[in-house]
Amino acid sequence: MTDAADQLDQLLTVGEAPAARAKLQLNGVSRRFGAVQALAKVDLGIAEGEFVTLIGPSGCGKSTLFNIVAGLLEADTGGEVLLDGAATSLLGKVAFMPQRDLLLPWRNVLDNAILAAEVEGRPKRAARETARAMAADFGLKGFEDHYPQQLSGGMRQRVALMRTFMFDRDLMLLDEPFGALDALTRAMMQRWLLDIWSRYRRTILFITHDIDEAIFLGDRVVVMSARPGSIKLERRVELPRPRDPALLTTPAFNAIKRELLDAVEEESMKTFAAGAA
Amino acid sequence: MNAALARGLGGGVLLLVLWEAVVRLAAIPPWILPPPSGIVATTWSARGPLLDAGAMTLFEAVTGYGIGAVLGLVLAMLLALATPVRKLVLPMVVVVNSVPVAAYAPLALLWFGTGALSKVVMVAFIVGFTVFLNALDGLLRVDPAAVALLRSFGAGPLGVLWRLRLPTALPAIMVGMRVSTVRSMIVAIVTEMLGSQKGLGWTIFEAVLQIDFLRVWAAILVASLISLGCFAAVSALERRVVFWR
Repeated sequence: MTDAADQLDQLLTVGEAPAARAKLQLNGVSRRFGAVQALAKVDLGIAEGEFVTLIGPSGCGKSTLFNIVAGLLEADTGGEVLLDGAATSLLGKVAFMPQRDLLLPWRNVLDNAILAAEVEGRPKRAARETARAMAADFGLKGFEDHYPQQLSGGMRQRVALMRTFMFDRDLMLLDEPFGALDALTRAMMQRWLLDIWSRYRRTILFITHDIDEAIFLGDRVVVMSARPGSIKLERRVELPRPRDPALLTTPAFNAIKRELLDAVEEESMKTFAAGAA
Repeated sequence: MNAALARGLGGGVLLLVLWEAVVRLAAIPPWILPPPSGIVATTWSARGPLLDAGAMTLFEAVTGYGIGAVLGLVLAMLLALATPVRKLVLPMVVVVNSVPVAAYAPLALLWFGTGALSKVVMVAFIVGFTVFLNALDGLLRVDPAAVALLRSFGAGPLGVLWRLRLPTALPAIMVGMRVSTVRSMIVAIVTEMLGSQKGLGWTIFEAVLQIDFLRVWAAILVASLISLGCFAAVSALERRVVFWR
């Protein structure tokens, strides 16, 4: 673990012994918008420290599921969302990173990174010091005082990720964070995220459209069905860590990919057929 | 000096030279159009009373501007927080605002007298409306995804207002404040013309009655210079405040 991660943990972590129990547990979570059933009985558990990736056809209710887990949306009655085994309001308890970086143009890199810390009422100066110490880990050393409009897409995404990490919650929700990046930057960011994850030890739920990305990153890949969204398939990824790009061409990787592709394809066809009908 | 400013100044000088030449060559009588040189000379010789009048008008405009801008901004922030009240109040505000301001001036004189107060009230009224409408528009035009992000961090409506809505609205607020500078001078002068014993509006009105058209033009010159100065000051402030645009 790096100094910065160490320092951050000391400053922020609420001191709880990690155990192999469910960090997040969804039991029969449904959501309906008027006549549209977006989610139907989603059951999903994520263990402490686990990296779970979630794929599914577009319009399958991924965003609805994310908003529910982030506490921005209520689930319909009947289902339950448990964080650390308790059914509480999730607002302010989950570090959530939306698809777009949503950096504020009037704040420089450091001040964007400390936004969540500021909202929590932590003193600005202390938060800035923590952020300054973390900047190197996030590849932002030397750019602390730059404004978002002066940064490349990859850097902006790293600032947004740093903001999410600084919002020190055990569970992180990442909604296609690399979706808008070019393939090369994306591959670099994936390896970098794994590296950061192994050092800062968080539980991550990661949405993506990209099956390679889902397998490369995840301990477990979850496939959602076409609308109404539910969990169609869960596949553990027993590939060794640390993972490197050579993994993407191994037979073990391809076997998992074929299995997942079949499932995603089937669901995509359903969505397509429903759209055509 | 940048190129745009240089071109602007060049154009201004050219216009003045043309104006002077046309008035002299065509022998236009001064009550129709005096030459620029005559206006400058009159302004200089009457500088004492003109400065007094200018100071009065500037005081009314700046005081009204300050009060109006603060009230407009505070009201916009309150209504941005209180959606049901906003939906009730906003249509009325738009109706009141669509009546030409000058129409209210006689009422202001009736209620607040012919002293500075009636002008301050009129200026505050027009500036307040302009800043209010611009600010409210800016405060409500935030990215819903950014609001969701701040809420996920645990921010309440006030936190969202302070950290997101207000900075997002700053460009719109500053546009409202820039537009208001010129309006505040116009309204102060028009209200002075309708009833007062001081200020540039009164000077213009009085000079017209005395058929002293050079003094009318001199007062217009002073009013224009003050207006330009205020506009430049607010524009400079805008560039500082909205630095990221």
